Parts: sequence; C-alpha cells; structure tokens
Amino acid sequence: MGAKKENNGDDMDEKVKKYLRGEAANLEGLKDKKLKGQLAVREDLYGKSAKTAAKIEKWLLPSEGGYLEAEGIEKTWRIKQESIAREIDISSSKNQYDIVLPELGPYTLDFTSNGRYMAAAGRKGHLAIVDMKTLNLIKEIQVKETVRDVVYLHNELFFAVAQKKYPYIYNRGGTELHCLKEHGAVLRLQFLKNHFLLASINKFGQLHYQDVTMGEMVGNFRTGLGRTDVMQVNPFNGVVALGHSSGTVTMWKPTSSVPLVKMLCHPGPVSSLAFHPNGHLMATSGKENKIKIWDLRKFEVIQTMPGHAKTLNFSQKGLLAAGTGSFIKILADFSGSQNYNSYMTHSMAKGYQVGKVLFRPYEDVLGIGHSMGWSSILIPGSGEPNFDSWVANPFETSKQRREKEVHSLLDKLPPETIMLDPTKVGTVRAPQKKEKPTKKEIEAEMEAAIETAKDTDFKKKTKGRNKPSKRAKKRQEMIERAKKPFLEQQIQEHERSRKKQKTNPETEMPKSLQRFVRQKAA
Amino acid sequence: MAVKKRKERAFGGESGNSKKFKKYSNSKGPMKKNKNDTRKKGKGPRLPSALRTELDRLDPKIASDSDDGIDLDVGNDVYEYEEEVPQEESRKNRRFDPVENYDYELPEDFEDENVPSDDEDDDGDFGVGGNKGSRNDDVDASDGDEEEDDERHLRMLQGVTGMSTDAFGGKKKRNSVVISEAHPESEYNPTRDVLEGDSHITLQDLLDPIQGKAGYSKLRKRVQHMDRKSTSVQAPLPKVDREKLERMAVYEHSKKDITKWEHLVKRNREAPTVFFGGDVDLGFSTVGAIASEFEPRTEFEKKIASLVYDDKVMEAHKADGSKLLELNKISEEDYMKHRDHVAKMRSLLFRHEMKQKRIKKIKSKTYHRLKNKDKLKVESAEMLMDPEAAKEQARKQEFKRAEERLTLKHKNKSKWARRILERGLNAQDEGTRAALAEQLHQHALLTRKINTVKDSSSSSDSSSDDDDEGSNEDRASELLEKAKEKTLKVLEDDEELPNSGVLSLPFMVRGLKKRREEAIEEAKLALQEYEQLEGTNDAENSKPATASGRRVFGRANNEVPDSNKKTKTDNKMKMDNYYGNSDSEDDLEAKANVNIEGCKRNDVEKDVGPNYDRKEAADVSIFKNFDDNGDPGSKTTYEVAIFASDSWRKMKSENGVDKNAKKLQQVKEAIVHNKDMEEGEEDSDSEREQMVDGILSSAPKESYELPSQSELIRHAFAGDDVEEEFEKDKQEILNEENPEPDKPVLLPGWGQWTHVQQKKGLPWWMLKEHEDAKRKREESLKKRKDAQLKHVIISEKVDKKAEKLQTKSLPYPFTSKELFEQSMRMPIGSESNPETAIRSLNRPEVVKKPGVIIKPIKFVEMHHHEKSEDYKRSGQKQKKNKSKGASGKNKKQSN
Repeated sequence: MGAKKENNGDDMDEKVKKYLRGEAANLEGLKDKKLKGQLAVREDLYGKSAKTAAKIEKWLLPSEGGYLEAEGIEKTWRIKQESIAREIDISSSKNQYDIVLPELGPYTLDFTSNGRYMAAAGRKGHLAIVDMKTLNLIKEIQVKETVRDVVYLHNELFFAVAQKKYPYIYNRGGTELHCLKEHGAVLRLQFLKNHFLLASINKFGQLHYQDVTMGEMVGNFRTGLGRTDVMQVNPFNGVVALGHSSGTVTMWKPTSSVPLVKMLCHPGPVSSLAFHPNGHLMATSGKENKIKIWDLRKFEVIQTMPGHAKTLNFSQKGLLAAGTGSFIKILADFSGSQNYNSYMTHSMAKGYQVGKVLFRPYEDVLGIGHSMGWSSILIPGSGEPNFDSWVANPFETSKQRREKEVHSLLDKLPPETIMLDPTKVGTVRAPQKKEKPTKKEIEAEMEAAIETAKDTDFKKKTKGRNKPSKRAKKRQEMIERAKKPFLEQQIQEHERSRKKQKTNPETEMPKSLQRFVRQKAA
Repeated sequence: MAVKKRKERAFGGESGNSKKFKKYSNSKGPMKKNKNDTRKKGKGPRLPSALRTELDRLDPKIASDSDDGIDLDVGNDVYEYEEEVPQEESRKNRRFDPVENYDYELPEDFEDENVPSDDEDDDGDFGVGGNKGSRNDDVDASDGDEEEDDERHLRMLQGVTGMSTDAFGGKKKRNSVVISEAHPESEYNPTRDVLEGDSHITLQDLLDPIQGKAGYSKLRKRVQHMDRKSTSVQAPLPKVDREKLERMAVYEHSKKDITKWEHLVKRNREAPTVFFGGDVDLGFSTVGAIASEFEPRTEFEKKIASLVYDDKVMEAHKADGSKLLELNKISEEDYMKHRDHVAKMRSLLFRHEMKQKRIKKIKSKTYHRLKNKDKLKVESAEMLMDPEAAKEQARKQEFKRAEERLTLKHKNKSKWARRILERGLNAQDEGTRAALAEQLHQHALLTRKINTVKDSSSSSDSSSDDDDEGSNEDRASELLEKAKEKTLKVLEDDEELPNSGVLSLPFMVRGLKKRREEAIEEAKLALQEYEQLEGTNDAENSKPATASGRRVFGRANNEVPDSNKKTKTDNKMKMDNYYGNSDSEDDLEAKANVNIEGCKRNDVEKDVGPNYDRKEAADVSIFKNFDDNGDPGSKTTYEVAIFASDSWRKMKSENGVDKNAKKLQQVKEAIVHNKDMEEGEEDSDSEREQMVDGILSSAPKESYELPSQSELIRHAFAGDDVEEEFEKDKQEILNEENPEPDKPVLLPGWGQWTHVQQKKGLPWWMLKEHEDAKRKREESLKKRKDAQLKHVIISEKVDKKAEKLQTKSLPYPFTSKELFEQSMRMPIGSESNPETAIRSLNRPEVVKKPGVIIKPIKFVEMHHHEKSEDYKRSGQKQKKNKSKGASGKNKKQSN
C-alpha cells in the first residue's frame, strides 16, 4: 500500500494528478532518441502507478472527515460541547472529560505521532503517561523538580522532559535513561521524527540539536535574541522556528549557525506559533493582540485576526486552535481559500488558565493542558480519518512497533537534509557565485606557485654572469615574486577585518554615549 | 648436348613442356606459374594418356573447362608415346655424365628469352602453343646442323597431320632466315612470324586428314559450333579495379544480409528491459497432457484401451463434438460467394497493378505531354471548384516563382544559351531561336505570374481582371461600389426633364416626376442597404486578407497614387495599412507607404510606429535624468521630503546608503517631470510605470504617511523600536553577505599638494571603480529573495553540507535541467507506490535467471506492417511479459 493521505477528492483524475506529483516531462523537443524512448517508458510507468494508487485510495480510504454544519441562523461557534455530547456515540463521548489536578499546577501535553498515548507534565514535577484508547494510566512519576516541557521521542517508549536544570529522557516505565546536561535549563523541547533529533531552546536563548540515536550533538547555536519559550518544528521540512520577544520569528536548521529566515511578524513579542501539517502555513500570535497567518512560500501575511493566543496548534486537517486565558477558539477554512473563520469556541471553567492546546492525531479531539489539570474536547473534522499503518498506526501492536522502529531508524535522514525547500534535494544545483577561497586553499595555492618558481630552469648565461651566487639570488627573487600577490592579499584582508572592528563600536554605541568614544588621531 | 635439346624441340614445341619444366626447375630463374603447373600436374590420379585423349574427344567440355595446365597436359599426352625421354635425363642410372650441368653454363639472356615464351605457352591455348613451338624453332635455327633436325620435324608433322611435306616446307624455308632481336619478345614486341602471319596451322588443316573416319562428322560439327560461338575475349580488367568491383559486390551483399537484423537489434535496444531465458519450456506438466501421451503396453492396458477407444464410444463423442461444430458451419453457398468475391477483388487488384505497371513503363514523349496537359486541366478545374486546391496551387506557383528567381534557370544563363548568344542569334536556325524565345517566355511567365495575382487582389480598380479566386469578397465590394455609383447617378440625373414632345405634356411630366420620386426613394433605400452591406463586407474583408497571406500583401509602390481615388473609403485605407504592416518581404516599401499616406492625410490614420518611438525616446531621456540626479551630491535636498513622509525612516536616510530613500526621490522626481512634460498622455504614463517597476513597488509605502489610531497604538506598544531594529539587522546582514565597497581614499598627503589638486578631488578612475562596485552591490541586493520583502531576511549563505544533496552538473544523457528534474520527480520506492507498480518501476535493464544460457540472437522475420511500429508496441510486449511474470510470482507467493 502506498502512502495515502488527504481527503478523497471527487474525481479520479484529480487523484491521479496528485499521485503523478507534477507535470510529465515534455519530450517534444528532445533530440536524443534513446533518452526520449527511455523517458517515455518511464512516464508510462509513472502514469500506471499513479492510476493504481488513485484506485487504491478510492477503495481503501473511504472514510471522510466530518464537520459541524450550521442550519439556518445557527452558528457553528455557538454549539457547545454539551450539545455535541448528546448527539454522538459512547466511544466518542469518552473523549470529553476534564481531569482536575489542582496541586501540581499548569500542565503541558504531548501525544505520540499515532495519537494513542499522551504524556502530561505538571509544572511541579508530575509526569503521567496515559493510554488514550483505554484511558488507562500507564505510569505516573513525580520528579520533584520544575518541569517545563515534555515531548515524546519516536515512539511511546521514550519521552524527554525539560526539567529545572537539564532535560532528561525517561522510558515508559518512568526510568530515567539520560540526563542531557549540555542543553542546560531548557524551556521548550521538540523532536524531529524523521531526523531523530531532539531540539531544545534554553534559558539563554541557545538552540541545541542532539541526535538521539548516537547521542551526538549536531548543532549548538546562540540565537542572540534573548530568552524565549516559543518553539515549533515545521513538520514539512524539519525547520525549527523560534518566536522572540523582539517580534521576530527565526527559522533554524542544524547545519547553519545563522537563521535561514528571520522575519518580523509582530511589533511586540511573539507569544506562540504553529505550523500547518503541509508546511505552507504558519500561524503566529503576538502580545499586541493579533493572530497572523503567514504563507511560508512567499513569506507574506495571508490573514490578520484580532485576538490573543497563548498557545496555537494546527490539526491534521488544518484547523487552528488558539487558547488564551480560559477560552479556546477554533478557526477553520473549509472553503480552502485560506481564509480562516471562527469555527468553534470552548470556555473552560472560570480561573483555569490554558497553557497548551494540542490536537490529537487521527481523532477529532483537542487536548488542553491548563492550570488545573488537563481536558479533552471534541472538535469535529479536526483529525485525519484515514490512517496509514506505515506512517502511524493507532492500533499498533508491540511487534509492529518494534518493526517500525527498525524501519524508521534505517530511514533516518541526515541533519543536512533539513532545508527550507526539501524538494530541492536531488535537483541540479544552481550555479553559485564564486566564494572566497579558504585559508588552506590559499596556502596550497601559494605553495604550488613557489614550487613552480623553484623548478624553473635558468638560461645558461655567459661565463661571468653564470655564478652560482647570482643564480641563487635570482631564484630567491623569483620565489619572492611568486609569493607577493598572496601576501598582499592577506594583508588586505587583515586590514579589512581590522577596519570592521574599528568601525563597529562607533556604530553600536547609542548616540548619547558616542561622545565618550575615545577619539583617535585622524 | 645441343643436339639432344634440339631433338626434344623437334618433337613439337607444344609437347616439350613437361621436360622443359623439369629443366627449368633445375635452372636458375623458374617462373612461379611454371611451378604451379607442375604442381597441378602432380595432382589427382593420372590416367593413361590414351584413355584421356579418348575421354577428351568424347567430352571436350571438361577439357576446356579445366585449367590451362590440364589443357596443356592433354596436349602433351597426345604425344606421350612418341616422346622419348633421353636416358641422361631419366636418371635411371648413373651411366651417363651429368649432362644437365652444361645447361648451367648457358648464357643468362638465353634463359631469359625463353621464359616469357614459356609463360605464354601456359596461358595460351592449343593454337598458340603451336605458334610458340615454331618460334622456339626460330630461336634454335641459329645452330649450324639444324637441317636434318628440320627434316625430321617435317616428317613428324607429316606423320601427325597426314599432309604433304610442302605444306610445311615452304614455311620452313622462309623461317630459316635468322633475325636476332635486340629486345626480349613480349606482347609489345611481337616476333617476326606473328607479324608476318600465315604460319598457323588451322583446325581445318588438322581435320582434313581424318575425313571419312568414324566420328569425323561429330567432331566437325562440334568445331563448327565452337567457331560460331567464339567471340573475342575482352582483356581482363586490372587487378585493382577487379578487386574493387568484387569488394563492392561483396559489400552490397553483406549489407543486405546484415540489415535484415536491424529490426531485431532495434527492438532490443528500445526495450526497457531485456529478458533472457524468460520462457524456459518445461514441457507438458498438466495431467491431461501426460495422459495423452500414454500408450497401452500391457495386456490389461490394451484391453482397457480397446474399451475406451471403442468405436461406439468414439462415435458418441464425435457426435457430441459435431454438434458443437455445427455452430461453426458456414453454408457452402456463403463460402462460395465469399471466395468468388475475394477472387474477383484479387483479380481486379492484379489487373490494376498490371495496368499501372504498363503505364509506368511508357516512355513516349507525346503520351507524357498529353498526360501532363490532362493533369493541368484537371488541376485548373479543381482550382475553380475547390478553394483549398486553389490555395495549394497558388502556393506551388509561389514556390516555383521563388525557385525561378533564385536560380534564374530560364534566363539564358545555361551554358547552351550562353553559347548561342555568344555566337549571335542571327547565326542560329529557326528552331534554336524559338527555343531561346520560349525559354525567356517561360522565365517571364514564372516570374510575372505572382505580380498579376497581387494586382488583382489588392487593387480595387474596375479595370482589373479579377480572375483571382481569393478576392471574392473584394469583388463583392466592388460590385457594391458599382451599384452605389449607379444609384448615385440615378439620383443626380433628376434635373434634366424633357422639354419637348409627348413627354413634355403636363400630366406626363407629373407622372414622370412621381415615378422619379419613387425611384429616388428606392435608390436611397438601396444606397442605405449598400452601405450596410459594405460595412459588414469591410469587416469581413480584413479577415480574409490576413488569411490569404503573401499573395495579397506587398502592394507595389505605384499603387499609392491609385489609392488616392475618392471612391475609396477610410476602411480601405486601413486595410492597406494593415497589409503594409504585416508584410515581411516588402517591409520597407510598405513603411514608406505608410509614411507617405501619413503625411498626406493625418486625419485618416495615425502614424503609430514613429510616434511611439519618439515617446519612448523621451521616456528614456527622462530616466537618464533621474539617474543623474540620483547622485550622492543631491541627496540633501530630498531629505526633507522623506522626513515628512514617514518619521521612522529618519535614521536610514542619515545612513546615506538607503535604497528606499533613493527610490522615493526618484519617484518624486518622476512625478515632477511628468508635470513638466506637456504630453502627459496615458500611454507614456503607463510606460513609465512599467519601467519604474521596482521603484513603484516602494511607492505605496507613502500611504504610511497617515498614521491611524491603531498604528499609533502599535507604535506606543512596541516600546523599543522593533521595526527599526529589524531594519538595522537586515542592513547588517546585507552588508555582511554583500559587503559595501570601500570609499575611495588616497594615501594621506597624496593629491593634496596644491589647491588645484584638492579641487580636482579623487581621480576619475577611482570614482568610477567605486561606482561600479556600488552598482554591482545594488544589483546583487536586488536579486536577493528578500529584496521585495521588508520584514524578512532570507539568508543567502550556502550550506556546504547540503550541497552534496544536489547534483553539480546534469547527469549524462540529459541536456536540460527541467527534463532531468521532471524525470526525477517521482519517487520509485515502495513507500510511495502501489505494490503492483514497484516491480516495473525498479526493474533492471537486463533480467536473467541464474544459470540460464544466453543464446545468440535468433533471426525472426518481421512482417511489413510490423516494421512501422514504434517502440511503444514493443514496450507493451515487454510489459505483457512482465505482467505475466509478476502475476506468476504473485501466485507463487499466495500459494
């Protein structure tokens, strides 16, 4: 079975088109007959493959996501959870609950990628693992330390917890496996499933990437933008986005020390951000009472909405949940025009402060972590109705889980595959402008030049002029001449860097303080 | 010794060969051919010569077919019994002194002289051999005591031929004269007797003595037959040519032989996958197949078989079978009918074929001339009927014309024509002159034809012949024009009333007036109608004009005055204009036309092209001005404006390198200039907008000028100036990634010696360098992805680690990037494809089971209709195989 996702389209052709992944090559102008023949055959095969895939999708992915539909003057956002509860079956109604745990203070949540298990972490050191199908509590531990974040690793067996000083990795049984001291006091954790990387941002605004398979530290960057606890991974390309107090959002990859993109999203601090599963949309909320939806292909705002959000999350089907205070708002665009409208609202009991909203994968359920425990509400149309057992299987057996672990480890992507546009992998690199040669290269070049200078043969001159001393002198001269341009270049570079250093303090200094800069002789 | 030698010669030149060979093989310079001959002689069983002669006589063909050597052998064998091998030579014992030794002492040239003659002996046939023999005699005639020798020879001849001695004697006498020749004899230096002739022994001479004996008539007949048949043999080609021809023939042959493999090779090449040992035949495997091969052996088995294969049982089975077959039955009548029909069709086809063959073979000039004429007639008829054909014809004519113009084939350029002209036309006869004139006429016809077409289609004169088929609409419009003119005439006519006669009577006059008024009204109505019609017609007119293409356009210059006619409407003018613009060949002329007309009547049409140009030029100049003013020197004057527009940009403008500020300046200046310009037309404005492009995109930012309430709040909220910081950040990163060029500085003290130097400032080349670097930076900044996005910084740094994920260069067979990327777009792994497709997507080029012996390619005849099929078909075939294989595998798996 191939990967089948997304809802069932109306037309077979559309599906086929989807599975063809773009236009077929135009072979009209191709002169190479052999290549033409080969490509034509290939195209034919692709077409067949797409057709069968479309057929399979038609027959094997019959479930369609539902959603609330308003009748007459009804408005979908006026429909309460209670009214939904009256209409649904028992198994679904099990997903509406509030767990009240007032002591161990605001809770944060994380689901496994198949949505079967949930890890909940209370601020005051309470960790709980729950099987969401049976609602059994699998393990509950008290770390007796501040817990800031919890995140599942590749399956439900392991999870990482950001504690007071360091992040730790526990297994399902609550055994501490690792203490990741290099990360420091981590505020937010994220796990990159395909790359097996644990990303963290600590109190000092340092971003760490650690490979959880071999334990290697892949990247360690200073953001230089201050403390932040707003971090999210783009599921499409694995780029980590950070929201900063300066209103900027920076996007990082583990192989570059500077952000790939730095965008000014809000005039005030960014309070939260979220990515659409297809990776093209980003939602940010700022402290200035605005929620913005961005198109990441053009880096432009699509929509600006008033409202505050402490936490944002996109569901698998693209619904956007925003939580602030004790109020949760769900936005949706069922029209597909990327115009998000209010879809549902939910108010918690007075005094509950929502800390985190998180849609449960493959279920129409929104998990809410708040100051008094955690809750779960139903949001029709939020989850993907058809799951692909190769990608994530909510009904996974332990054997399947083991099998999948091995497979995913074999399919692990190296960290350099994280880039803004992963479709670029395997294409022809665009010709680049010539970069500066490295120091080593310059040295090697100089060596080579000197060697050639040494090896040159002199003309045999007449008796008086052919003295060995003179010849040695001449040779020396030649070597000098060969060296000269390199040395000159070096000096120039040095000068330039010095100049930069010299000019920097002046410009950095506020105007009021500039008068105190030591005046140098002109 | 010499005597002995002569003796042996006397036995007959032609007969002495074998011995001579022996001798030569001892001697110094034997020829290769001789060797060959000796070898040949050694071959095969040696029959008694008598028997062989007999055989020979019975079947001379064998003799003639066989090699020369054998031929000679036969000649030799005739005399075998008469020949006496000298005892010294037979070497039976050693009683005699070794006589041959003397031969070594013979002079070299003597030997040499003989060699070629020997050679000829081998080549030549019987007669020649005889000739040689006599020649040898010549050579030997120098010896003193040849008389008796000759006599003996004569006697021998007499004995052989049975003729009287004088037949040989006379010749002998003549030959007794010895002429020593300075050069060796060869085909270039024939010997004397060849030149003198008449020394031959004809066949007749040989035949005569056996007249009346048994077998004579048979022999004679055969000889006569041979005589009749014999033709002169051509000299063989030189060896090089012969071999070349041979090679050519061989090449042709082998080419034909090899090309028959082509389709097989092609199929294999085009197949996406080549299968080897795909269908290993394991023989029958079903129970039924095995059972069918069963043969009863034991008695019991036989008994059973006899029961099973009982007649009754078989019959019953048969009856059942025949029932089934009945459905397949065709009635005899039907079958006959079908067969007859097929036969008829076949015979018709055959007849037709034969007819065509015969017609094709006809070489008669008159026939072809008539045929061509007929063809032309048919074509012209078709041309009248079918516009498509007409178009085609016109195209052909055009092509011919072009060809004629290109080659000037009929313009007396040929060698023939030039020669005639050189000699003068008057010197020629009627026919040649006519031919020449005809040629010229042809040329004129070919080149002129198109002109006439052009004229008729483009000119609206009534005088034109209008035999062109494409100008139907034109004709219609002309008809309308005529009608109009006539009606107008009718309208004008009404002043003249008859003054005398019956018609001048008052009631008649009244009646006339009435009728005229009616007529006038009618005419007016008609006129209206015409005008309407014309309007539509003109609209239509323009379309076919474009469609008819080349033949219509290319109005000659001399038509311009024609177009001044008053009857022409403005529409018409436009049409002409249109032609002129669309013309490709006579572009210049057409343009000239347009210009002329533009000058003549400005009201009718606009001279668009030049105007446009002028405007553009103006624009360009304006923009040059902008650029000039965009110098750093003039910056200060605009700062105020920027301050006014939005306050938060203050800092930037202070930096002095701000791009946006500059842009703003430019835009503003542009607006000022616009106001100054008198011709503020929409055209030019829009043009300007396009040209500004990037600059205009920053122009809307001026709307920031009015800070709204929310804006103010925002500003207040963002206590620390976030945007400004970001701006600064961006600037920094830009500077880092595209560093700003250093300001040109002289070394301190340089260039500051005098006031003049100081006034001059920096040298021009430094400034220029700086400017260049600046411009370069600007360009690279513009090229950045975030150039248009104020709020975004996209890092341009190259990730070296990620570089390996992309190819540096295009992989080999691809030549275009798009094609490569499109061909790579589909993943072929099992994760993203259905199970059924993965196999075919990942199949290797060669599929071979281990242990299968790959047999050499086998020739398979390809049918004619199959030859034209392309790779797709073969691909399908392959795929069929594949699917079969796949399904088979699946079955196995399921089992």
